[in-house]
Amino acid sequence: MTASPGGALLVFAVLTPVAGILLSFALGGRAAERITLALAPIGLALAGFIAFLVARSGAPLVYVIGGLPPPLGIALRADGASATMMVAAALIVPAAAFYARAKFATPDGVAESRGALTFWIMLQAIWAALNLIFLGADLFNLYVALELLTFAAVPLVCIDGRPETLAAALRYLLFALFGSISYLLGVALLYGGYGTLDIVLLGERIAATPLVWTAAALMTAGLLAKTALFPLHIWLPPAHANAPAAASAVLSGLVVKGSFFLTLRLWFYVLPALPMAAPAAILGTLGGCAALFGSILALRQPRLKLLVAYSTVAQIGYLFLVFPLASAPAGGALGWSGGFVQVLAHAFAKAAMFLSAGVLAEALGHDRIAHFSGAARALPLTFLTLGLGGLSLMGLPPSGGFEAKWLMLRACAASGQWIWAVPILGGGLLAGGYVYRILAPALADGVVEVKARPQLSRELVALGLVGVALALAFAPEGFFEFIQIGRPLAGGGAS
Amino acid sequence: MKDVLLVATLAAPLAFLAACFVRAWRPRALGLQFLAPAPGLAAGLLGLSGTPVSVSGLGFALRLDPPGALLLSFSALLWIVASAALWREKAPDARFGVCWLLTMIGSLGVFVAGDLVSFYLLYALVSLPAYGLFAFSDDPEKKRAGAVYLAFALAGEAVLLAAFALLAAGAPQGVGIAEVMAALPASPYRGAVLVLVVAGFGMKMGLVPFNGWMPLNYRAAPIPVAAVLSGAGVKAGVIGLLRFLPLGASMAEAGEALAILGFVTAFYGLAVGLTQRESKSILAYSSISQMGVIAAALGLGLAAADSGAAGDMAFYAANHLLVKAALFVTIGALAARQPLWALALAGALALSLAGLPLTGGALAKLASKAQFDAGWPKNLATLSSIGSAMLMTHFFTRLVSGDAAKDAATETPAALARLWPAVALGALLLPWLFADNPGEALKLDALWDGLWPVATGVALALVWRRLSVPQIPAGDSIVLYERGFARLMALGPAFERADANLRQWPAAGVSLLLIVLALLAAGLEQAAEKVPFR
Repeated sequence: MTASPGGALLVFAVLTPVAGILLSFALGGRAAERITLALAPIGLALAGFIAFLVARSGAPLVYVIGGLPPPLGIALRADGASATMMVAAALIVPAAAFYARAKFATPDGVAESRGALTFWIMLQAIWAALNLIFLGADLFNLYVALELLTFAAVPLVCIDGRPETLAAALRYLLFALFGSISYLLGVALLYGGYGTLDIVLLGERIAATPLVWTAAALMTAGLLAKTALFPLHIWLPPAHANAPAAASAVLSGLVVKGSFFLTLRLWFYVLPALPMAAPAAILGTLGGCAALFGSILALRQPRLKLLVAYSTVAQIGYLFLVFPLASAPAGGALGWSGGFVQVLAHAFAKAAMFLSAGVLAEALGHDRIAHFSGAARALPLTFLTLGLGGLSLMGLPPSGGFEAKWLMLRACAASGQWIWAVPILGGGLLAGGYVYRILAPALADGVVEVKARPQLSRELVALGLVGVALALAFAPEGFFEFIQIGRPLAGGGAS
Repeated sequence: MKDVLLVATLAAPLAFLAACFVRAWRPRALGLQFLAPAPGLAAGLLGLSGTPVSVSGLGFALRLDPPGALLLSFSALLWIVASAALWREKAPDARFGVCWLLTMIGSLGVFVAGDLVSFYLLYALVSLPAYGLFAFSDDPEKKRAGAVYLAFALAGEAVLLAAFALLAAGAPQGVGIAEVMAALPASPYRGAVLVLVVAGFGMKMGLVPFNGWMPLNYRAAPIPVAAVLSGAGVKAGVIGLLRFLPLGASMAEAGEALAILGFVTAFYGLAVGLTQRESKSILAYSSISQMGVIAAALGLGLAAADSGAAGDMAFYAANHLLVKAALFVTIGALAARQPLWALALAGALALSLAGLPLTGGALAKLASKAQFDAGWPKNLATLSSIGSAMLMTHFFTRLVSGDAAKDAATETPAALARLWPAVALGALLLPWLFADNPGEALKLDALWDGLWPVATGVALALVWRRLSVPQIPAGDSIVLYERGFARLMALGPAFERADANLRQWPAAGVSLLLIVLALLAAGLEQAAEKVPFR
């Protein structure tokens, strides 16, 4: 493996937020906020330029750290999938940061406040960890990134220090640790067996031995615990529902996608030699159950943020349908594209919905759905965002959610795997039910008392994010070719 | 010229919609929106003859062909009249206005959608936003009607998405409607597609057993809304069947099954309609029955591999579009006073649906003649004409008895009530301008063929009045659905308990362990089988 021109950009993409963290520590207080906001255009430009280079060359962009090629050294690698995810992160993290300015501003007359400093530093840490996850080409390196992601995400959950948020954060931390241990065990087994942790080298060498299967099972289970795939969603609803809105948006939109992305890397890049039918069926079954179970529970939640959190449980389920669909001999490319569009559509729509839920809770002083009657007239933009986000969750056009379902269903048809159409369509119907629960009372006649007028800029940030989720419906053919760049053929050769 | 108008059919209402998002422009945009369907009307009129026109861009494709053009022009006309009247004096609020525009875009767009994705989008637009036209209310009956309506609309969307995915899977070369339909007869999924298409569009058309939402919907809707939904909205289902049934390919069994379903719906609608007392409900059941007739004719067309059935049924549906909308306006216009000439006009309008000679209905009946040409279909079609005449006489007597819905007069814009004679005459006479050979309907035997079933039906209805029949609640089978739904909802707490249990530490730990073991088992089993790997 050799470095490609422009590969150094990959290092910058990871190091920029890291430098931001160090500077924030050094300068403290108010500077942390300014540094995070200043990083936004730089991060977006870097991600965009990397995507441009990948698209232009049609091949993954590689950088070998310190000039030592694997297996001695470690490499960073950007393919179509990672570049796409980086751009998504570079849009959502700054949006959350911009939204959070009012809540996490350092108060006047104080040099530094605990909450503000923690928030801004952890937000940058999440960004750095995500970029490393998307770019990392070494399984141990990715373990470090995964840990960084968890340790940056947990403090965001309990940043306001209420007892229930502490309990939620602790739950999250402990369960994620189980996941980490499981993943690390698997990594150790692979290292013992093959003497390298480089994804490309492992992908070439690995054969279906009991050792590899054991490693695969451990690593997968660990990643599922961090992704909160049903029935491992023990920590997600309380954590995502209790965190501040800006944090929830990043946690639900991006953080769970980090460990999902690694699960994809593991099965499609590291283990393409394993016959994938049986494990893919297991992952698909869990995903299908998640889509139905999460949606049913979302239907029953009394509070908007809990509803949106359970909807995340359901939407994570859809992501795992990519395993049976993309590994099938026919329609694999459709399944892969569908899975990625679902990742993106959910990331943007869900981030927008959590931000809107935050606006709404501040404006009304509560987020009890039973008391929403007439709220849409008081907060039209916020409910427009919730409605459009709901459109994407339900999978109705024009939205990324529809595009994802459309691709996935066609993959089901092409590969003859009808069973996966049940959660795809059934989950959409149930999503229709919970979106109806939010919107129908809000649009009905009625008067709500608005405690504080929402800031227009915050409402517009959320609307902008949901706009991206809708724009995915108009993605040109080239975009689907782009996310296939660098995708190996899995499960014994798929198209 | 045609292609510009075709794009403008959607672009014009979209522009009005966009203008609604600027607060200063909103009142004017809503007030002038009756202009928005004008390009659609023009495109429809120009597209009535000649070769189909296609336009595509941004991943969407539009296509205008004669059957679509006919329905497009009549729909556009209806939307123009209804919008102009509604905003002239009622000036509904913005949320209603936006829903109205969205429904309009969908309603006009489904007739010109050229590929699967465009059709799906526009079909969703004509279905879902219509909720906002009658259900934004705290009134429990309206809320119930809205919830039931949305449930059927969403279920229909899900069924159609499955159908469209199968259609696309059968046609690798592209997702244009013409392409997928050309590939369908050879597709392995032919049977499944047919079932899903009939179920999906059947939900919109109110075919049995999916008919219950319609009476609830029209009862809850104010008269102008009921007029556009029953006139233009339901035709989205008809155009769906026209587009997605492989009418040229011979599929005898499937076609006959659809014909039977259609006739069952036709007579079911008549029978339940005759027990109704509210004018709006009676009209809803008449719509159900008429949609059944269309489904039956299309089924017979499918069985006979008759691709001409599409054009014939488009005409039948276009006539129903005008007449049914005009009948809803009639309820409002005659609620206050009922001069004799108005009653005569209303009677003619009502019986047009049964095929009264000299009305547009006579032409519609003639258009369906090719499908109902002989044997049992012919007898059943005649019987359904008699039944329609009975039902419409029943409607007329309820109208005259004056206990129409209390709000009928206030719901109807005064301008529409004043112009009602023109609306009614238009609905009776306009179809004559669009029929292929109207002279046929004026021949003596055609007049007689049209007259005797109507006369029989009217006579039977007068006998029926003297019988006292128990009233079936509006929505009939919907009561069963609601009971089933309530039973499902009762499972909710069980799911909550299951979730609470799964989210305990021991359970989560066991789950994690089980996942590891399941993956291991999967791997070791494969290893035991010595599956060759690459």
